[in-house]
Parts: sequence; structure tokens; C-alpha cells
Amino acid sequence: MEKPDRQLAMVMDLNKCIGCQTCTIACKRLWTRDEGMEYMWWNSVNTQPGRGTPRDWEEMGGGFRDGTAVPGKLPTRKDFGEAWEFNHEEVFFGGKGDKVHLKVKGEEPDWGPNWDEDQGAGEYPNAYYFYLPRICNHCTHPACLEACPRKAIVKREEDGIVLIDEDRCRGYRFCMEACPYKKIYFNHAEKVSQKCIFCFPRIEQGVANACARQCPGRVRFLGYRDDEEGPIWKLVDKWKAALPLHPEYGTDPNVFYVPPLAPPRFDENGDVDESKPRIPDEYLVSLFGPKVLDVLALMKSEMAKTRAGEKSELMDLLIAYRWKDMFGGFDRDPATIEWVKS
Amino acid sequence: MRAHYVPPAQFETFLDPEAAVWKEAGREELKLEGTPLGMQLTAHIRAAWAGRKIGSVARASVAAVHDGQVLAFRLEWSAANGGREPADNHEFTDGAAVVLPSSAGAPIITMGAPGMAVNAWYWRADDERARHVVAEGLGSSRTVDVELVRGRGTWKDGRWCVVIARALRVDTQEPIAQLEPGAETGFGVAVWDGNHGERAGIKAFSGPLWHELQLDAVPETTR
Repeated sequence: MEKPDRQLAMVMDLNKCIGCQTCTIACKRLWTRDEGMEYMWWNSVNTQPGRGTPRDWEEMGGGFRDGTAVPGKLPTRKDFGEAWEFNHEEVFFGGKGDKVHLKVKGEEPDWGPNWDEDQGAGEYPNAYYFYLPRICNHCTHPACLEACPRKAIVKREEDGIVLIDEDRCRGYRFCMEACPYKKIYFNHAEKVSQKCIFCFPRIEQGVANACARQCPGRVRFLGYRDDEEGPIWKLVDKWKAALPLHPEYGTDPNVFYVPPLAPPRFDENGDVDESKPRIPDEYLVSLFGPKVLDVLALMKSEMAKTRAGEKSELMDLLIAYRWKDMFGGFDRDPATIEWVKS
Repeated sequence: MRAHYVPPAQFETFLDPEAAVWKEAGREELKLEGTPLGMQLTAHIRAAWAGRKIGSVARASVAAVHDGQVLAFRLEWSAANGGREPADNHEFTDGAAVVLPSSAGAPIITMGAPGMAVNAWYWRADDERARHVVAEGLGSSRTVDVELVRGRGTWKDGRWCVVIARALRVDTQEPIAQLEPGAETGFGVAVWDGNHGERAGIKAFSGPLWHELQLDAVPETTR
């Protein structure tokens, strides 16, 4: 695989994500409404700690260890969570609204794509959780691309976006096995694998990804990795404040996360105990690697600066005073474009 | 193996594995073997299949007939179930293919080589259309047509009977096998056991060398 000329990347600030799923729905409305795509959520947001989507994906293998391919499992439809059908007709139009409640048709589900929302971990008064939005990581070393025997997956030279060529794909699903983030879905109607396309038709028109532009929390930054004027280079390379999820999977993701700070713990007397973090360090290390502790320390010191009345470029960046500055130049209003479905 | 001449028939007739034309064709038992792990194309596939049995179907019964216009193969093998539509992501479908050299010297073991194509007639249980495929090396296969080759599978009593057929000669620039009565060519077969997770290069095949296929000449009296 040739190294792309440039790489688009995204940074998600987990301190600002409120788990509203606007990103998820923005993506769903735009890309996964056709037959066979019902159960797909190219963008998902899960509560951490949690089992995630698909269920227990972190235990499914794939990716690389020390550069060697690791076998992976294929998540089932149930692991992802089926697209439920509800008894809307019965409740709203069947004259039974006072007796029947809204429920899933057929077998009662015991799992779904956001099943363990807000459960988190820890005991009162030190319970904790945070939200983790995920898309395809458009990896620099994409396990999906390398696993495909048909060369049906490409990494675009101009921007590093990883795409599945549905004309070459024959539905063998080696990509799905190999992706350690389990962000590839199989379309049973079209018999091809499908995944997040980083909104490339929008990107090509200078418009930010739907998940990024629609986010009410100003969580998502976008841009070229090497654009020193843009937010990605500043957050990832200059400030080193954003890290990939599970770097040990060996695929070199291009989605980065600003890790979550949390309120301090309470001790047994109910007093604030600053000595230990609410979210255990080891948990964050298990997600983002040991560098996460450096980032948290950096954030705290930059926050202290601003409290003392000093200026912090990092805090200014993360606050995102100017919405459009988050998009690395991809700030065109999509309403100014006449979109044609091909 | 002989491709027996049968009197001209409707294309559709050949597709019925129980049709009378198949009673006249001699069947040949082909021993199948798994494709070698080392020849699987990607490190991921090799890692995923290391230590696992490749090619769970050990033998297939093969017959061939032609009527001067159409060449048809009938493949029969034992299969635990005849699932056609995989319902879940980890489920795969059964399939079969006949492969022929497009030009003399094309290697079957590597599915052809650059400039030396092989031509596969590929049937999969979840697709009514069979595919007409050419390949010039491992991983290079491409579908050139989905109309030319026709296939039909019937699963009964723990066995698949699959017929795959095509016109002997096809007017195309694509590097496909062009056949004629009285001629000899090579052939090979492959069978995928979906239940066993087989797909792509993970399959049972009739070995690294071509098997011989002798097409009967059209008898003088019918010309």
C-alpha cells in the first residue's frame, strides 16, 4: 500500500460529549437508510466503561500485534443489535393506546446498540462514566485493507480515507474479521461489506462530515493531519493532547480522542479526595495507552493557567470559540450545494 | 473425463440435475483437497486459518455433456445442509465452480498468470445468477458477465447437485475459454463449504494440475 499524500483526521473531545446521539442520527439519515443497512450505525456512541457496539468488541481480536496479523471474530447481528420494529400501528392507530404500550415486535431483545447506556462503573458516590463516539478510524495501517484478498478496499491517495469498492467486494468479510475496532458491517441484501466513508462526497465539496458538523457539543475537530494552521495538527502533534483508541491494536488510527477528566472522588466521610481520580487511571490507560496520563496532567495544568488568568492556546482550541475553526477549512454550508444522488 | 455428446436440447434442460441427459453422462469421482495455507493471499487469512482444516468437502462426482452448442457440468457432493441465504454475519454460503484454461499453459494452481487467463464458471447458493469470471493470478478474478453462464443447485438428502453451463463459443474480447466439439481441454473444480466458513481462496479444489476433458465430436449423422 502506498502512503497517502495527505491524511484527513478527526479529534473528538470526550470532555464535551453529552451522549445525545445527534452524530449517530446525522450519519444514519444521510448514509444508512437503504435496504440491508437497517442495523448499521457507522457512527455509534457508547457509555464507557461498557460492552460497546458490537457487544464486547474489544475482545474480538483483529488488528496486529508486533506487526503480525491477529485473527479476529465476526460479530453477529445480535452483537451489533438488530434494527427493532415497534408496534407503532397497534399503539397509535389500533385503538389500544390505553392498554398496549410501545414495545419491540417479536422476541423481546436482550441487547441493542446502546443497551448499557449510562450504566458505567463505580459505586455511589463515586460512580463514573463517559461517552465514547466511534467511527471508522481510517487507519494508516488498515487491517481491513490488508485482509481483503480481492483488493476491494482502497486508501485514497489524496486524503487517506479508507473506502470499500462495492463492485469488487464479494462479501467474504475478512475485513470485518480483521478490523479490531469492529466498525465494518455486512449488508445482507447487497451482499457486500459497508462502513463509514468519512462523508467523502461532502469532504470533496469542502463540507465537514455530518457527524462533526451536526454535533451540538462542539466535540469533533476535522482537518488534515499536516495542516499546521488547522486544529488536528495543533491538538495531536503540537500539544499532544489527543490519542488514538487502543493504539496497541497496531493499525495507527486517524481518529484521536482528548481523554476525559472527571470530578474528584469523595472519601468515606463525604469529603472531596483529590488524591485519586474518579475514573481510574488504569481504565483510561487500557483504552488510550500510558500517554493518557501525560495528557490528563497537561489538561489540568492548562486549566490551572486559565484559572490564574493566563492564556492557554490548548484550552482556547478545546473550547472552540469559533465553530467553523473546528473544521480545518471544511466549513462550507452544505445547504449551498445542490446534491444529486447518483 | 469425457463430455458426452447429447442431441441438441434447450439450455434449460441441462440445468435440471435430474434430467435424462445426465443419465447418459458418465460420472467421475474427483478427489478434492484444501488449497494450501501458504497460498492464501493475505496475512490475516493465513493467521485466521492456521491450524484449521481447509477444504472440508473431500470428493465430488462430476459429469459433463454438450450438444454442440452448450457445455454443461454437473457437480454432486455431500453437504450437511443446503442453506442458501446466510442469515448472520458469521454464516457463509456454499458454492462451486468449474475452471477452464483460456489459453494453453495457463496454470490452475495460481488461477492463471498475467497474460495467461483462466476462466471460471462460478455458482453460489445465494445467487440465482452464476458468474462468468476470468482471473490472471491469485486475487485477480473479475466477473466479466452474469448472464452467459447459468447455474442451478438443488440440495436433497444431504447432497448438492449443481449444474453449471455455458455456450461452447462466446463472442467476446475477454480472455475466456472457447470450446469446440472434438477438442480436448483441461478443467478443474472447486467447492466451498459455507458452513465451515469457506469463501474466496479457502476452498476444496481438484488439485494443482488440470484434469483432462475430452469433448465428444458431434456425430456425422447429426451434422
